[in-house]
Amino acid sequence: MPRTTTVECPGCPPIRALTTDVLGLVKVVEVSGKIGTPKVVETWGPPDASRSVVTASFADRKTNPLLAVARKNGLVEFLNPLNGNALATVTVKDCVSSSNSTEDELVAGLHLLGTKGTELSSKSSTFLMCTEKGKACLKSIMLGDASPDSSLADAPSTWNVCGAGNVLCSSVDGAENFALFGGKGVELNVWDLEKCSKIWTAKSPPCNSLGIFSPTWFTASTFLSKDDHRKIAAGTNNRQVRLYDISAQRRPVISINFRESPIKVVTEDLDGYTVYVGTGCGDLASFDMRTGKLLGCFVGKCSGSIRSIARHPKLPIIASCGLDSYLRFWDTKTRQLLSAVFLKQHLTSVLLDSHFSSEEIEPADQSSDLQAIDHSEVENDDELLLLTRKSKTSRKKVQNKIKAEKIKRESQYDEMSDEDDEPTTFDADDDDEMPATKRKKTLGGKEKNVRLKQKKSKKRIG
Amino acid sequence: MVEGKRKREPAVAGAQVEEEKKSRDGKDKKRRMLPSLIKNKLKRMEVHAKVKREKRVEKKKKAKARVDAHKRALELGEEPPPVRIPRTIENTREPDETVCKPDDEELFVGNDADEFSQILKQEHAPKILITTCRFNSSRGPAFIQELLSVIPNAHYHKRGTYELKKIIEYANKKEFTSIIVVHTNRREPDALLIINLPDGPTAHFKLSKLVLRKDIKNHGNPTSHKPELVLNNFTTRLGHRVGRLIQSLFPQDPYFRGRRVVTFHNQRDFIFFRHHRYVFESKETKVDTKDTAAKNDKGKNLIQTKMIARLQECGPRFTLKLISLQHGTFDSKGGEFEWVHKPEMDTSRRRFFL
Repeated sequence: MPRTTTVECPGCPPIRALTTDVLGLVKVVEVSGKIGTPKVVETWGPPDASRSVVTASFADRKTNPLLAVARKNGLVEFLNPLNGNALATVTVKDCVSSSNSTEDELVAGLHLLGTKGTELSSKSSTFLMCTEKGKACLKSIMLGDASPDSSLADAPSTWNVCGAGNVLCSSVDGAENFALFGGKGVELNVWDLEKCSKIWTAKSPPCNSLGIFSPTWFTASTFLSKDDHRKIAAGTNNRQVRLYDISAQRRPVISINFRESPIKVVTEDLDGYTVYVGTGCGDLASFDMRTGKLLGCFVGKCSGSIRSIARHPKLPIIASCGLDSYLRFWDTKTRQLLSAVFLKQHLTSVLLDSHFSSEEIEPADQSSDLQAIDHSEVENDDELLLLTRKSKTSRKKVQNKIKAEKIKRESQYDEMSDEDDEPTTFDADDDDEMPATKRKKTLGGKEKNVRLKQKKSKKRIG
Repeated sequence: MVEGKRKREPAVAGAQVEEEKKSRDGKDKKRRMLPSLIKNKLKRMEVHAKVKREKRVEKKKKAKARVDAHKRALELGEEPPPVRIPRTIENTREPDETVCKPDDEELFVGNDADEFSQILKQEHAPKILITTCRFNSSRGPAFIQELLSVIPNAHYHKRGTYELKKIIEYANKKEFTSIIVVHTNRREPDALLIINLPDGPTAHFKLSKLVLRKDIKNHGNPTSHKPELVLNNFTTRLGHRVGRLIQSLFPQDPYFRGRRVVTFHNQRDFIFFRHHRYVFESKETKVDTKDTAAKNDKGKNLIQTKMIARLQECGPRFTLKLISLQHGTFDSKGGEFEWVHKPEMDTSRRRFFL
C-alpha cells in the first residue's frame, strides 16, 4: 500500500479571517464549529489585476467594523467587513493633494483610526495614509455613499515624511497619537499625529568591524506594545531585527541577525515583548525583544515569502499569508501549524475579526442583509450587531492580564535600556545563545532601575 | 549395517510423513520461512533455487492464463478482461489542492494578468539573451551553441565581469524578454537560471544528465524553423507558472512544415528536455499470412499502406529540477521567493510540486 504521510492538522477554534490578494479579491475564511478546518465562505469583488490590493486595514470594533483597502490603481475603498458592501471610495491623489504629480502613487501604509476609543458616529471614519514617496495624510471621510468622489468631512492634514527614498512600512501606536514611518533610504521616524510634527528620528548604526556601512532599508516596523509608543521593533532588508527605544537613544538598542533573507513583516504580540517575524523565503519565527533571543521557528512547509502576519486579540493564534498563496493558522504557544487554506492567489494581507463566534452566523448574515437593504437605519443595525457579537467577559480578562504583564514588562525594559550606548549585535540562528557577558548585565541591572525611572520622569518634563 | 539402515529408513520416512502432515496444516508458515534463515549453505542454495524456480513457473502460468482469457474473450466476441494498471509513484501521488482545475475562473484571470501574457498573446516576439557564469569553458560553450540552435531569436552575449543585475538592466534597455544564464561548475553545466523581463519571476533550475548532440547516436541536425512546443504534466499552480515561463521562451507561432518539436516533459518534478524532428511516412506492409491464405485465389499482391510517425532526435538532451522561483528579477540578497525547495518539504516520495 502506498504510505501516506500527510500530517493531520489539529484544526482551529472558531475564527474569521479576511485576506486580500493581487487580483483585488477579498476572501473571507471562517472556521465553523468548535474545532474545524477553515473554509472560504465568501469572495468579494471581481478578479481584476489592476485592482490589486496593496495594503489593507481593519477597524476591529464590536459595532461598525470597517475594512479599508488600498488598491494599485490609486483608489482606497472602504468596505463593510460583514457583507462586503462598498461604503466609500477615495482616490489617493485627492487625499495627498499633490497638484503637480500626474502618475498614481502606490500606498505604502494605511491605518484606520478610532479602532477602540470612543465610539464615533458610524457615518464617518478617520484614517492615516502614506504613499511610497513619503506623503502622509490624516483624513476623515463620510461613509455611506459608494461614489468615487465622496465628500470629505474636513480638510485633510498632509505632511511630508521624508525628502527622498521610498516609504515601505508604517505603523500607528495603540493610543493612536503617534505614527511610525520607515523605508528604503528612510530612517525610522515617529510623528505626533495631533500636531503633525516629527518627534524622533533614528540614526543608522555605525560601520561594522570591516568598515562596511549597510544602507538604510527598513521593510517592517511596529510599536512593541499597545500602550507604549517608546519601544519600536523593526525589520531591515539586510536580515536584521532591531529594537529601538525612543527614550534611550537614537541607535538600535538590540539588533539580531536572522537567517539569510530579508525580514518582510514584524508583528507584535499582546504581551508587549514578543514579536513575530516573517522573511522573504518563508521563515516565520518569534523573538523575545527583552533579551533578543529567538524563541523558536514556526515550521511547516512554508515555501513562499511571508507578506503579512496577524495576531488574534483573544486566542493564542497567529495567521500568516504570503506568496505561496496559503493562509496558515499557528498556535503561538506550541508553534504548531493548526491549519492551512489554499487561496489560489498571491496574498498581500490577512486581517482577523476578533468578534466572531461560530454559533451565530445566521443572525449576522441577517443583519448584513438588512444593512444592504437600507443604509439609513444604522442604529437598528447597531442593535442587531450588538446581539450578534458577544463575549465581553473574556475581553476584560485579557485586558486585566495585559495590565499585569505591563507592569512586569516595564521593569524589564528599564534594565535593558540602561545598557551602554552601543547596540548589542549577535546572531540568533536557531539555537545560538546570548553572549554570557550581556546576560549578566541584563540580570544585574535591577539596582539601576530606580535611578533610571527618575531620569525618565525628568526627560518627560523636559 | 545394512539392517540398521533398513531399520532406520522407515523411521525416517515416518518422520517425513509426519512432517508433511504438519506442513500441510501450517502450509503458510512453512512458505513464509525464508531460505535465508537456513544456516547450511548448500541446503540454503538448493532451497533458494527451488523457490525461485517455482515462482518463475507460477508467473509464467499467470501470464499465459491472462493471455488466454483475453484471446478467448475476443473469439467469443465478449469484452476482454480489463487490463490491470500497475501502481506507480505517479499514480499514487498524494492529493494536492493546488492542482489547477479547468473550471477555475480565477486561474484564467490570473493568467491574463501575469508577466508572460503579453508574449503568449503574441503582442511581443520573444527575444532571448543567453549568457554564462564568469568562468565558462569546455562543455559550457558547446551547450550554448546548441541552445542557440534550439531557441529561435536567441543571442549569446559574453558575460565578462558584469554583474547579473547590470546585465538585466542592459537587457531591459535592449528589449529582451528573457535571460538564460548557464552556470558551469568544473567545466560542466550544472544550473540554469531563467529570468523573465522586465519584472517577471526568476526560476533557478538544477541541470543534470546533459548529453550534447554529437554524443547522440543517429542524431539529426535541426533546421532554423520555429519549433513546436510540448509541455507535459505541469499540473499544479506552481507547475503552471513554470510551464508558462518556459513557454514564453519560444515563439507562439510554430512553423509546422519544419517538423521540429521541443518537449519539456515533467515527471516527478523532474523536467526532461528533448528535441526531435518527426516525419510521417506511409509504410507498405504485407497483409498477415492467415488472411493471405484465405484469399489466396484472389491474388498475392495485397499490400496495406499505413501511416507511421518516425522520430529523429537532434540537439541536446538534459534534465531540469526546480530549486527556487523568485518573485521579481534576480536578487540574491533582498529577493522574495514564491517557492523555495526546503528539506522539510520532503516528507514523502509521493509528494510533487509541479
